[in-house]
Amino acid sequence: MAKTIMIVDDSTTMLMSLRNSLEIANFSVLSASDGLIALDKLNAGPKPDLIITDINMPNMNGIEFIGKARALPGYRFVPILVLTTESQQASRNEAKRLGATGWLVKPVGGADLIKVIKQVLPGA
Amino acid sequence: MLTANRIFLIGALIALALGRVLPANSLQVTDSFLGRPGDSLLLLAVVFLGGLLWMTRQSRAPQASHHRQQVQVAEPERRLGQALLATHLILEQAIDDKLLEVVADTEASATSIIQEVRALYDSSHKLVAYLESSGLRGGMMENDISNCVAFLLDLGTFVHQLPDKMQRDMVSVQLVVKEITELSELVSSVQDIAMQSHLLAINAAIEGSHAGPAGAAFRVIATEMRTLASNSSEVARRINIGLARARNVVGNTMAKSLVESSEQLQTVSKAADSIVRLQENFEDMRQFHKIRFTVVSKYNEDLLQEISEVLGQIQYQDVVSQCIERIRSATAQRNGFFESAVQQWGQDDAELTQLPPQLLQILNNFVSEEEKHLHSARHAADAGSEQKIELF
Repeated sequence: MAKTIMIVDDSTTMLMSLRNSLEIANFSVLSASDGLIALDKLNAGPKPDLIITDINMPNMNGIEFIGKARALPGYRFVPILVLTTESQQASRNEAKRLGATGWLVKPVGGADLIKVIKQVLPGA
Repeated sequence: MLTANRIFLIGALIALALGRVLPANSLQVTDSFLGRPGDSLLLLAVVFLGGLLWMTRQSRAPQASHHRQQVQVAEPERRLGQALLATHLILEQAIDDKLLEVVADTEASATSIIQEVRALYDSSHKLVAYLESSGLRGGMMENDISNCVAFLLDLGTFVHQLPDKMQRDMVSVQLVVKEITELSELVSSVQDIAMQSHLLAINAAIEGSHAGPAGAAFRVIATEMRTLASNSSEVARRINIGLARARNVVGNTMAKSLVESSEQLQTVSKAADSIVRLQENFEDMRQFHKIRFTVVSKYNEDLLQEISEVLGQIQYQDVVSQCIERIRSATAQRNGFFESAVQQWGQDDAELTQLPPQLLQILNNFVSEEEKHLHSARHAADAGSEQKIELF
């Protein structure tokens, strides 16, 4: 059965790019345009096997979203990858502290993205 | 002199107002050389403001004391500053509109490219699926042909064995024919016996006549014996004819069957050979199809990787649009600073000294924000992979 990945980004280009990259690699995709909508979707289900989130988003940014997602029941060990234009170490440390699994700086090629996903999502 | 200042100022304001108020289609006729409706009026406003600036400088020249100059030119300078600021803000707005338009255009283009790339992937996926299903159908057809060939080979084996079987049957039939021939000989003996009986009956009849009335009964018996001999001879003749016919039928039929079975054997052998060749050709085709499928699958995998990379590169649109957004934010801060500076202009010299550090702070904020995104976009090629991708 295909693994499900949630992508959280306010950019239409990013959502479409990631959705197509992941679908071509046989993943099932859920999407949300900011952290708040993503949290609602996590609460409503279905539960994704992995989450990829941007940092700079309206309503709720990625850092806050990571913290709140980790607090949800059943999401303690779900891998969360940050995919952002930011590369500063301080931001990476903050994301790591809140429970992020990895940090990827945009743009990330399809092969690299799938490689990282397979590293953090056994059986994918 | 003051009247001329006012004329330039009013002219600039009218030009600016016309640029904002007139509908775009009415401006398009006269604004072809600058490309954007209203740009000519903007240029006109700048010309008026230049005239205003020149007139202001002319008016400042004869002033004697610094204090008197500040009091007398403060108001015109502020007006000049405000007019310049107003023009600048309009220009900034035009640039900002254009930037937003560019971001929207690149997003629309990126979306379109993604859709086209996805359509390309879907087409290649359909092609591979079609080749895969045709390969499966070919496999089923190959099985059917194999079954057909096996059946024909069995049939061929049977036909090959048929002459031997018929030969054995022929031996049996020849025995039957021999038996029939022996029976014919027996029938000839019966005919001979009938003939002798007939002669004997004639002699008996002659002797009966010689005996006179006493031989009457003897003559009757002799007549009956002659009739019996004649009937026996007739029956023997018919049996002989029947046996001869049976012998001919059995012999001819067997010979004919042998010839026919030989022809059938040749026909079936040819058919079996044709089907075997067909199977071999089909197997060759299947191998060719498998190789072609492997090659197409490999190309499809390569295409898939390229598509995946294109989808990754498309993310630059988001990188660039975020960069433009940061530039717009810095520009908005700078414009706010200018508005504040113009307000202070001519009112408090001490406050003016704070303006350069404030502008520098905006610069520092912008540079600091850009530092956070050092490894995005064109910096990516220089950055190490551990900086682009880090697993905690």
